[in-house]
Amino acid sequence: MSSQSFKLEQSRRSLMQRLFEPPTVGKMSPVAKLVAYSILAFWSAFVIFPLYWVVITSFKDAQLVNEGPYYIPFIDFQPTLDGWRRQFVDDASKVFPAFFNSVIIAVASTALCVVVGSMAAYALARIQYKPKFGNIVLFVIMSLIAIVATAYTGIHWFFTASVALALFFLLVRAFGKHFKGQLGNGDILFWIISQRILPPVVVVIPVYMMFQAVGMIDTHAALILVYAVANLPIVVWLMHDFFANLPIELEESAQIDGATRFGIFWEIVLPLTRPGLAATTLLTLILNWNEYLFAVFLSTSKAQTMPIMVAAKNAGERGILWWEMCAIIVVMIIPVIIMAIFLQRFIAQGVLNGAVKG
Amino acid sequence: MNTLKPGVPVSFEKVQKSFGSVRVLEEFDLDVKPGEFLVLLGASGSGKTTALRILSGLEQATSGRVRIGDRDVTDILPKYRDISMVFQSYALYPHKTVGENIGFPLKVRKVNPADMDVAIREAAAQVQLDQLLHRYPRELSGGQRQRVALARAIIRRPSVFLMDEPLSNLDAKLRGHMRAELKHMQQEFGITTIYVTHDQIEAMTLAHRVAILEKGVLQQLATPREIYNNPANLFVAGFIGSPPMNFLKGELKNGLFEMAGGRLGTAVKASLSTATLGLRPEDASISTANNPAFEGIVYTNELIGDHTLVTANIHGQMLTVKAPKEFAGAAGDAIGIDAPAHAAYLFDASNGTRLR
Amino acid sequence: MRAEAPAYAESWGEWFDRHSRTYFIAPAVTLILIFAIFPTFYSIVFALSRVKFTADGLKFRFVWFQNFEKQFAGNEQVHFLGRLGEISIWGWLLILVGSAATLWWLYRYVIREFWWLGFVGRLISAAGFMFVIYLLASTLLSGNQWGTLLTTLFYVIVGCSIQFIIGTGLAFLCSQPIAGKSFFRVLFFIPLMITPLGVGYAFKMILDITKGPFQPFWQFIGLQDWAWSTDAWAARWFIVVGDSWQWIPFIFICMLAALESVPKDHVEAAEVDGASSVQVFREIIWPQIVPVAATVFLIRMIEGFKIVDLPNIMTSGGPGIATESMSLHSFFVWRANDYGQSAAVAYLLLIMTVLVCSSFFNFVVLKQMRKDKA
Repeated sequence: MSSQSFKLEQSRRSLMQRLFEPPTVGKMSPVAKLVAYSILAFWSAFVIFPLYWVVITSFKDAQLVNEGPYYIPFIDFQPTLDGWRRQFVDDASKVFPAFFNSVIIAVASTALCVVVGSMAAYALARIQYKPKFGNIVLFVIMSLIAIVATAYTGIHWFFTASVALALFFLLVRAFGKHFKGQLGNGDILFWIISQRILPPVVVVIPVYMMFQAVGMIDTHAALILVYAVANLPIVVWLMHDFFANLPIELEESAQIDGATRFGIFWEIVLPLTRPGLAATTLLTLILNWNEYLFAVFLSTSKAQTMPIMVAAKNAGERGILWWEMCAIIVVMIIPVIIMAIFLQRFIAQGVLNGAVKG
Repeated sequence: MNTLKPGVPVSFEKVQKSFGSVRVLEEFDLDVKPGEFLVLLGASGSGKTTALRILSGLEQATSGRVRIGDRDVTDILPKYRDISMVFQSYALYPHKTVGENIGFPLKVRKVNPADMDVAIREAAAQVQLDQLLHRYPRELSGGQRQRVALARAIIRRPSVFLMDEPLSNLDAKLRGHMRAELKHMQQEFGITTIYVTHDQIEAMTLAHRVAILEKGVLQQLATPREIYNNPANLFVAGFIGSPPMNFLKGELKNGLFEMAGGRLGTAVKASLSTATLGLRPEDASISTANNPAFEGIVYTNELIGDHTLVTANIHGQMLTVKAPKEFAGAAGDAIGIDAPAHAAYLFDASNGTRLR
Repeated sequence: MRAEAPAYAESWGEWFDRHSRTYFIAPAVTLILIFAIFPTFYSIVFALSRVKFTADGLKFRFVWFQNFEKQFAGNEQVHFLGRLGEISIWGWLLILVGSAATLWWLYRYVIREFWWLGFVGRLISAAGFMFVIYLLASTLLSGNQWGTLLTTLFYVIVGCSIQFIIGTGLAFLCSQPIAGKSFFRVLFFIPLMITPLGVGYAFKMILDITKGPFQPFWQFIGLQDWAWSTDAWAARWFIVVGDSWQWIPFIFICMLAALESVPKDHVEAAEVDGASSVQVFREIIWPQIVPVAATVFLIRMIEGFKIVDLPNIMTSGGPGIATESMSLHSFFVWRANDYGQSAAVAYLLLIMTVLVCSSFFNFVVLKQMRKDKA
């Protein structure tokens, strides 16, 4: 055996060590502390300042905004409630409906999305699915035929869709058993999650056409459905992980006790994932609350949401009515900030679990 | 053979540790002799791991000093303390191979690669891992992982080894085997070792001396034999020994212990109205005489193999006796139990101090 | 109490339960089919047609790939790809370096682990990469204006990289023993949840030269008469700043969780073994969070390709088309009632997103995960 001894003897700390080394484990060195707190302070300012500016601008009027920057209310300018009054008193008949539209649409689409998404996520975590590859190909071909027929021949969409669907079921019955290739749960999960990659601009025109065909443009239902689908991948992705991590013994014991599949899901599984469910719900709610692009396309007047009201302040010859716009933005972001405080811990955990096992 | 580094002494002087308002270690004094294998034994929450972490520098003492050799290390970083530590979870780096794991203490000290390679091979050979240097920790069994952690600790030949329940994640058979190897290795290196465990068998078999902690207070520091034969108080007496010592409540009248259903003359010439009698199951015996010390009825009877454990109910107090394997009394049978006077340990029931 | 096991009987509830495997997943699949898959297919029809408005609805005329051809070679080329002029010496240099790197990468794959499907995939990725290199060479490096394709890639690659670096740095700071940790966590998370519309307007307002809070500063450096809308690069960075404000929190929060999931005893073991804080990070922490980091970056890229609100609000795509992303490009064309072109641009965006993201997933994320599980 060698006599090598790799020792580091040191009792007295040099100046460099005093500056750059932590005094003990679990503390930071003076230099590191200085750097860290400066960066944190700078970043806090960077995060807070835009929010601060929006808030104080909402208490300015046209003159104060146009004269140039004023920074601190009561000290270098006298705040007014002009913007707020204009929005919530004079224009109340426009803003309040938009506010309630936003609430209704965000809440309803979140509820739909979370219920449908977590059921699918649970099913994918616990039930084995084996869709046949051939059936899927058949479905794709049938829907393409239906779409092409509708677009180029002018046959009514209802007719082509029914024929294609009927043909699909007929062909599946006839040839289904000859198809060999199968997909698994992982493939379905990947398929659902990968929908998130779809840029909204790809689907928004056809979706617009579809709603037009059934007369649903500018309705709450249209936005609720579209928002729900847009966030379905996130819900399935996050919830799948929560479900897969539950001990299956609980469900097995409930099965032996005679509970139905839905009973197990409702009474045992959902309560157990309550924190995850709450986080997913909040996240979906916030995304729906903020959504803008689909709202621009699909709502013209009756179903207008808050983001549309914000953007509307940009129209007009007088330029942007900053003080009014900021009042609406403040109303929009206050609930979101409250939710975010509850949310941040869960989101990270959810994303992390998903990412690690992914 | 080895060039042995003479062990260095380690000492705790009035070390205290509180987390917030919770005191986990109170006025802890301990001197570890050079080259000694010292075991800190205690239940979870007794402060034994905290003591070890204070010595390693991962935790800061609230007050008091810690010395390694002639250096006061209370305020210096772990890396300057010249120690190495084996964690309960082994703390093997999952993204590094066995060889890289073992070599890590040298790598961070910028030892040149050739020397490092030699040292890794030697350390690995020491724990019979030389065939597995290119594997990843997840490809190893529990025992092999344990050896990697050990090799990582010995590669640098530190002044002090610290071990935090290193064997508790192994199965019983492997644990016995590793215990023997650890003891052998420590003897060979002669490096001062502080070993934390909650397992009294590990403590008794490995240690030169055992320090028993409870609620942050050192209860007794002595050799395993001394601790077994001469426990300092009620806690130590109950903690060491398997099956554990019987405790019977009664009255001590000038050396005569009396309780409902029994009486036993002892060597302690004292009187106390609330006394506890401690009696090891292996010191008591089933009596066939007419006038046994204790009279009760059989409560259960468990055949262990080479002996039978008989538990008797003596007017509501339970007394377990290690009886010959032939004993065949059934539950409910009347039974008499005897014990020699020198086997009786007496404690003050109110505070647990030993009466001598 | 003893409850009898229910007698087996065909009832409505029983039937419902036996078909649970269908009804559990059917709603989600149906919704996605109707509102995602079906419109995606429908979009192909748009992209391959000239769409006319008539009294009784839209009329489609099948025009093969004309809409796409226009983007690549026709009169929309300048808008989509940029002004492809004479390639300068720097351009040729980039092409040279780019092709050498690509060939080396392919060569290594062929030598080390050849699999024909993997090779085809790598060929496609390489072709896409070379196309981007060519575009860069003939626009940016030859002094020509570039189109919406490169603008989008700029937002995604440059923007996401900056966000990743800053977000990870902040996460590392917050994983250190600092006071007020939970305050910083919440504060740094908030921008992610603000409506992108609000972010756009807030930054437009703040960076306003004459009325914004930094007006004295602009005046001081003599830029009081300057405007964001006149300088293409300033405008692009302007948008990256807004985008970063919004998205750094996402990286931050995920990487912070990843950093905190590194077992504490690994760090402690390294500290006892003598590693400095830098060594602990480089040797112990970073290698363990790389797979998560790659995944987080991928998610950020996927969302990054959709960027539309910020350029629309902050610069309306200007000056000219300098800040126009492909989503915005498609949106503008739609507003001009050219549905076919709009769908074609949207489709090109989808193809590019899938190509870049699946390349990144296959060649970076999977590699890291495999290394982790090897």
